[in-house]
Amino acid sequence: MHFANLFKWLSLALALAISAAPAQAATPRDQLVIGMNMNNLLSLDPAGATGNDVLGVVANLYDYLVELDPHDLTIVKPALAEKWEIAPDRNSITLTLRDGVRFKSGRLLTAHDAAWSLHRVLKLNLAMASPWKSYGFSKTNAEQLITAPDARTLRIALPEPTDPKMVLYTLGTSVSSAILDRDTVLAHQKNGDLGAAWLLTHAAGSGPFVLTEWRAKDAMLLDRYDGYWRGPAKLRRVVMRHVPESLSLRFMIDRGDVDLAAGMAAPDIEALKHDGRVVVQPVKRGNTYYVALSLKDARYADKRVRLALRKLIDYDGINQAIMPHYGVAHQRPVMSGLAATLPDPGYKLDVAGARKLLAEAGYPNGFRTTIRVLSDPPMINIATALQATLAQAGIDASILPGTGNQVYGSMRDRKFEIVVGRGGGGVEPHPHANLRAMVYNPDNRDEARLTNFQGWRTSFHHDAINRLIEQAVRERDDATQLAMYREVQQLYDSEVGAIQPIAQMVDTVVLSRRVHGYVGHPSATTLLRDVYKE
Amino acid sequence: MSGLKKGAAAWRTRLLSTGATLLGLLVLTFFIGRVMPIDPVLAIVGPDADVSTYQQVQAQLGLDRPLLVQFGHYIGELAQGNLGTSLLTGNAVSDDIARVFPATVELATLAIVVGTALGVPLGVFAASRRGRLGDHAVRVISLAGHSTPVFWFAMMGLLVFYAWLGWAGGSGRIALAFDGAIPRVTGLLLVDTLWSGNWDAFASSVQHIVLPACILGLHSMAYISRMTRSFMLAQLSQEYILAARVKGLSEAAVIWRHAFRNILVQLLTIVALAYGGLLEGAVLIETVFAWPGFGQYLTNSLLLGDMNSVMGCVLLVGIIFVTLNLISDALYQVFDPRMH
Repeated sequence: MHFANLFKWLSLALALAISAAPAQAATPRDQLVIGMNMNNLLSLDPAGATGNDVLGVVANLYDYLVELDPHDLTIVKPALAEKWEIAPDRNSITLTLRDGVRFKSGRLLTAHDAAWSLHRVLKLNLAMASPWKSYGFSKTNAEQLITAPDARTLRIALPEPTDPKMVLYTLGTSVSSAILDRDTVLAHQKNGDLGAAWLLTHAAGSGPFVLTEWRAKDAMLLDRYDGYWRGPAKLRRVVMRHVPESLSLRFMIDRGDVDLAAGMAAPDIEALKHDGRVVVQPVKRGNTYYVALSLKDARYADKRVRLALRKLIDYDGINQAIMPHYGVAHQRPVMSGLAATLPDPGYKLDVAGARKLLAEAGYPNGFRTTIRVLSDPPMINIATALQATLAQAGIDASILPGTGNQVYGSMRDRKFEIVVGRGGGGVEPHPHANLRAMVYNPDNRDEARLTNFQGWRTSFHHDAINRLIEQAVRERDDATQLAMYREVQQLYDSEVGAIQPIAQMVDTVVLSRRVHGYVGHPSATTLLRDVYKE
Repeated sequence: MSGLKKGAAAWRTRLLSTGATLLGLLVLTFFIGRVMPIDPVLAIVGPDADVSTYQQVQAQLGLDRPLLVQFGHYIGELAQGNLGTSLLTGNAVSDDIARVFPATVELATLAIVVGTALGVPLGVFAASRRGRLGDHAVRVISLAGHSTPVFWFAMMGLLVFYAWLGWAGGSGRIALAFDGAIPRVTGLLLVDTLWSGNWDAFASSVQHIVLPACILGLHSMAYISRMTRSFMLAQLSQEYILAARVKGLSEAAVIWRHAFRNILVQLLTIVALAYGGLLEGAVLIETVFAWPGFGQYLTNSLLLGDMNSVMGCVLLVGIIFVTLNLISDALYQVFDPRMH
């Protein structure tokens, strides 16, 4: 009898609960709800955080010294630094910080915090030390070269000749350039880790939002920082919710339960494209989707075979059928939109030409090979298309799908034949950023372990190209530098480099029409301080 | 006295075998985890890190030491109740598990209630009408339920009940408006929202859990109904059933009072195992519904090579199954007179 009563009450409660809940919830006007896959959001520490997702979070929790205009990345705009000066000898940059900026702790932000933040990145030597190490900075020279002569002046002396514009771009785009509240971080230091363990899941910045809560792989709440030096953000709160399944995300934006969906699969974006309640906003990134060959494999060391494979990629088919919402056709190692970028060479699928080259190279009947690829779209789809066109020339390719860890791990170990992947620098809008990541390989020996260079990973080594890349970044005359970068691309083309770009990456977000002021940043540092909702 | 001694010896043996099972589980997981082609260092430093950063992080994580030393260190920490730190979230593994496990417990418990409440009567019904239309219908339903991928049901459920009809709450455990507003007491949102007296939040959590729990429950129902039918058929062919019928008992009494009581022990075992399976992680349902549960946590940890988290999860799964077995053993004593 008791159970019967309990059952009745429970049923009633459930029925009431279901009927009482609103059928369609609109998100609150002062909150922006973002649905995204948060699997790659692993750390918020500016010294060690990797991946594009974290850039968007860190850019709103911290301030950078400068910012890049999202409409033209080569325009550097003031942020914490109200002005800067490149020394006539191009060996240093002096930045003047604005006065009166306060961290969320209430402390005044000074040039000493800025210098310490950059020292910390180099001392910890985690993932984000890479761009600084590429300029010649190290944990031993950081304090000597990056100095704060007074509370408002930051001086960065460059250890090696380089293009100072690159350094400014790094200051505006790299997560490592976020300025931390030194005292707050040091208060949470454990065993001399410079706050690294604490900063994995906390923040200590001066940006427009405060990290209120982060439940890994679940949700992240950012609340407005009312003391922000530019004035409080228009939104009271930003909620990021982990939605790993694209179709679920599509239903959520369709129902109005999220305002912005990031990282959706192309078919779901396509389905929403004509929905008048949402806007599809593509943002071009500096990375490329590519086919990489390992020159450690004797077959691919032969230029004729590389050329044959270049002819066996169905660029048009892939770009028309697979790449919409993921990328746009692009065949050069330097990102599109820069003055130095040469027009695409217009490679086409040419099976007959490829067969001829393979026969000349001693493979008239093709050969067997493997393609390592991430099991996610669009990479796996590109690999499948490539497998089909290779087969037309008699090349029997087996696809080995894996996680990013496995695919790029095998590349770092130089244990692969073909990789279909994505990458190639491009965070800084400078040809050197791409060429360094994709082409440059100063030491091709296995023991050199230059695992951060894709040129080394693919064992592509070309002295003249290396030399040109080194000279170009030091070149003071803009016109000469431009010519050098163009020459590198021509050489890479004629030498049939190991990495063949197919498309330049595009990140597509789907936005509710209620959201205004959202401008996706090509460097993934999208700022939410001016976003508002109707 | 000798009975007590025998009982104590039995428990000692049981505890020893449980300990050995859990240790074996840890050894296997640890060494399989270390030979998997997944590199946790790479997950942390990213694919573009240089070799000095890679080696430094590898050393910080202790992954440059011999496997046996690493394992010994892990067991030493475990003996002090420390499951270690998740390499990838930076949190203590025990904190991470304490956060995600209640979400799965809540979902799995409701699912097993749905599965059992539907599966047992359907199985009994099918067995009592063997070879007739009702039996075929139940068999088709259970076969379809068992063989259709659960993520397909989940997608269709979301499409119909969330996207079209708006009855279900969609992804997540609660509407975003309540996110962060409910004080955590048990981690079970249905309980915590009730505890806080926030009826709107309770309504929202009910609305969010009903659909994934029903879909998971349907999947369990398919298995439970098939097993129930099979157990019942075995009992209904026994001579004591014939005797009961000859005595003139009603068919309902024959089925429920005689046959059904005799399958309770077997039924308990399969329900307990099904529940264990759900707790272990309904990862596909959790993924489709963005349910921040144990299955997703374990899967993500595995994919990223976060072995501290994986080991903690495997240990918990082992303990769940051992506990469920112990509970079902104890319930045997209650339901099976031969065990008295």
